[in-house]
Amino acid sequence: MKAQSCEYQLRHTVPPTPDPEARLRARRAALLEFERVHVQKDESSAAAESRAKKPARRRFPSSNTWLAGMASACLAVVAVSVVWLLPPQQRQVPLRVPVAIDLEFISEVTPQAARLPEPAPASTPVSQPPPEQKKPAPGIARVKPAPARVQEPPPEPQPIDPASLEKDQATAAEEVVVSATRVQQRILESASPLVVVETAKKRRNASESEPSNTSLEEVAVTGSRRSSRVRDWFARRASAPSSPPPGAYKEEGRDKFQHFETNPVKRVADDAVSTFSVDVDTASYSFVRRQLNAGTMPQADAVRVEEMINYFDYAWPVPESREEPFKPTVTVSDSPWGAGKKLIHIGIKGYELPAREQPDVNLVLLLDVSGSMNSPDKLPLAQRSMALLLDSLKPTDTVAIVVYAGAAGQVLPPTPVAEKDTILQALNALRPGGSTAGAAGIKLAYELAEKSFRKEGVNRILLATDGDFNVGITDTNELKSFVSREREKGVYLSVLGFGQGNYRDEMSQALAQNGNGVAAYIDTLSEAKKVLVQEATASLFTIAKDVKLQIEFNPATVAEYRLVGYETRALNREDFNNDKVDAGDVGSGHKVTAIYEITPVGSKAQLIDESRYAAREGASADRRGKANEYGFLKIRYKLPKAFRSRLLQQPILMDAGVPAALEKDVEFSTAVAGFAQLLRGGQYTGPLRFEDVMAQAEDALGADPHGYRAEFLELVRKAQRARGM
Amino acid sequence: MDDQHLTGLIRRAQGGDVACFAELLDLHYDTIYRFAWKWCGHRTNAEDIAQQSCIKLARTLAQFRFQAAFTSWLYQLVIRCAQDWQRAQQRHEHDALPETEPTADDARTEDHIYLVQLLEQLDELGEGMKETALLVHAEGLSHAEAGQILGVSESTISWRVHAIRKHMNKREALMSGGV
Repeated sequence: MKAQSCEYQLRHTVPPTPDPEARLRARRAALLEFERVHVQKDESSAAAESRAKKPARRRFPSSNTWLAGMASACLAVVAVSVVWLLPPQQRQVPLRVPVAIDLEFISEVTPQAARLPEPAPASTPVSQPPPEQKKPAPGIARVKPAPARVQEPPPEPQPIDPASLEKDQATAAEEVVVSATRVQQRILESASPLVVVETAKKRRNASESEPSNTSLEEVAVTGSRRSSRVRDWFARRASAPSSPPPGAYKEEGRDKFQHFETNPVKRVADDAVSTFSVDVDTASYSFVRRQLNAGTMPQADAVRVEEMINYFDYAWPVPESREEPFKPTVTVSDSPWGAGKKLIHIGIKGYELPAREQPDVNLVLLLDVSGSMNSPDKLPLAQRSMALLLDSLKPTDTVAIVVYAGAAGQVLPPTPVAEKDTILQALNALRPGGSTAGAAGIKLAYELAEKSFRKEGVNRILLATDGDFNVGITDTNELKSFVSREREKGVYLSVLGFGQGNYRDEMSQALAQNGNGVAAYIDTLSEAKKVLVQEATASLFTIAKDVKLQIEFNPATVAEYRLVGYETRALNREDFNNDKVDAGDVGSGHKVTAIYEITPVGSKAQLIDESRYAAREGASADRRGKANEYGFLKIRYKLPKAFRSRLLQQPILMDAGVPAALEKDVEFSTAVAGFAQLLRGGQYTGPLRFEDVMAQAEDALGADPHGYRAEFLELVRKAQRARGM
Repeated sequence: MDDQHLTGLIRRAQGGDVACFAELLDLHYDTIYRFAWKWCGHRTNAEDIAQQSCIKLARTLAQFRFQAAFTSWLYQLVIRCAQDWQRAQQRHEHDALPETEPTADDARTEDHIYLVQLLEQLDELGEGMKETALLVHAEGLSHAEAGQILGVSESTISWRVHAIRKHMNKREALMSGGV
């Protein structure tokens, strides 16, 4: 063929006209997506608004939306029930609905679906939605306008006439009778996507009372000729409202937590010095939330009081420069857990690195892709969490991806964040399968991190796992020492935990603590946002390491004391000044709060009787001089690259009180501490009940910009219910 | 359509007005589809890419800041969708898709075949070459506009256009010499 010029050919080759149906499908899909995006936006702003007024209970949509929603819900019922009324042979057809899903995310993420058998002729439990899917629950009112309507949108939004809706349903019903095939056709064309969207909506609504653990709401349902793999995936997804889809990896009751005893009350006369390491992790809170959302009380060992407290943001004053990474704030208030007792709050907020000072990041994502991660709240959530993280990185930062399952492998060499698409592609292509060889994966990740090591920057491995390291180095100690050796070389490790049923909290904690990193538990996408976007700098940039606190109580003024939480972080008194002893790290903007409950001398609340024979304390002249102090606080820390520690110290004055600006924060943290202790059995909280916690927290909501405190109220309520059961 | 109307439409769609978004879609579907078709030379694939683009448009319209022409922004979006689609496709090569055009229009067949060959060659030439050729030759954009869309400088586009022409000439000479 004699070639026309390239230019001519490109300009004048006329594309065949697009298939009108394809055009319609695209239109419908885009409109659905548009709606989804905007409904989400509306919801979040509505939530923020109602929170600003009062903790949100229930929000009612405008009557228009509501009516339209009812309409679409009804249509959905008709559509679904029709599908399931058909004999199985025919049923396959509707399943082969040209339903497809946003390629970007789904088809890549769910390869397992591809391997599922085709729906077998007779009974096919795999793809059959459970009965509750057929009827949207009556209580659910917040459904969006029927997409079918949107298809031909009126120039102005018009109120929908209920009569015409009824007619619609009637027509649909008639068609059921008249011709099954035609109805089927109709379902294929219009109602199917609608069903999915309704499911997604329902999920979103339900998430107020249930864990929203998957990304179903992200599913953009579109019509397309795309393949069985997607269809199967879709069927599985749609049938899994709040639990992993059938066939997905699911285990229960194997979550492992380190056992620990609640800190006891100590007599100052016996042991006046209390020493512990900071703990900035928040994993415990997310895990507890998840359990409560599922309607069960968490096991006591899953509740680490300090992690519950530190989950929330408090306005502790911040230092001005990196040289002084934080300054402690000490307040003294009355204890709500016992008359005559006092609470001492020690609050620390790490210096926040301004964006321009943020060092370069060399990040290696280490993802568990073993079969056990095949659940919507595991690998898919991890993938999306990681994608979120990319937004908080600079274009020059690098990201590499390593996976581990039966074998460990590099998926993506260190790639600058500027090539975000490449990273996302690699990330989204991951699929679960095989058993887990965690150790091999970790080794490979460290190798990569060392290869692209940035001397002046941050070198960190981010491990996403359900904690299932069942092949390779299974010895926790061996792994731990490996991680701490690598820490010495400057490569740090943080752990993101996913999923439940087989979550090995202990392992995650151990690895993160040895790797100078944080351990977070991701149960929802919003948690991922909190950890990886809002607190990204904290998770990535360490501003002080090996932070230890020590308090010496004054026997002249304090009879007894009890450290609330930090059981797993206790240090020996002599460890405080020993720089070789590793302790927790504080990241940019991290908050750490510790609470002591003390019984002042002479208070009736004293639990332990005075020793009959020990010399009376408090009489010496030396001590009388410090009679206005409850104790003395010392903090040791190292700057990130330093090997020698620095010391901060200040007395805890009896009349320290609580500055007005911090009143709400002190109160709220106290409420959280009370709640956490109740969950652990309430050994030392006296008459405290969930109601009291709620009242106190409600009182102390404050600005609550992200709604975390309002969510806490919700959790207390759920705990109350769960206990009642 | 005048710019003012388009701007108003976009702003209202960004504000969540679904009717305006639908109008915006209807106005641009042909552009999207046409570009996608010339990019991949395959009708159903082009329809897929176009659909992904429409969805992406719904998702990202709020990010359009009126700093560039809307169509430029749109080209950028379609190109990204097309590239994503191709990557996804490569990963699923086992998942065979129909290779033949179901309704190949006879009158166009020759042109079509040539286009597909041309696209293959452009793909071989390196990253960004096909996109450059499409924007400049098929869509008639200036080098500066194409540069803006592809995120490279104007001179890079000029160089690419030159390189493409050189390659095509050489190839043609080779073929005619070889026959």
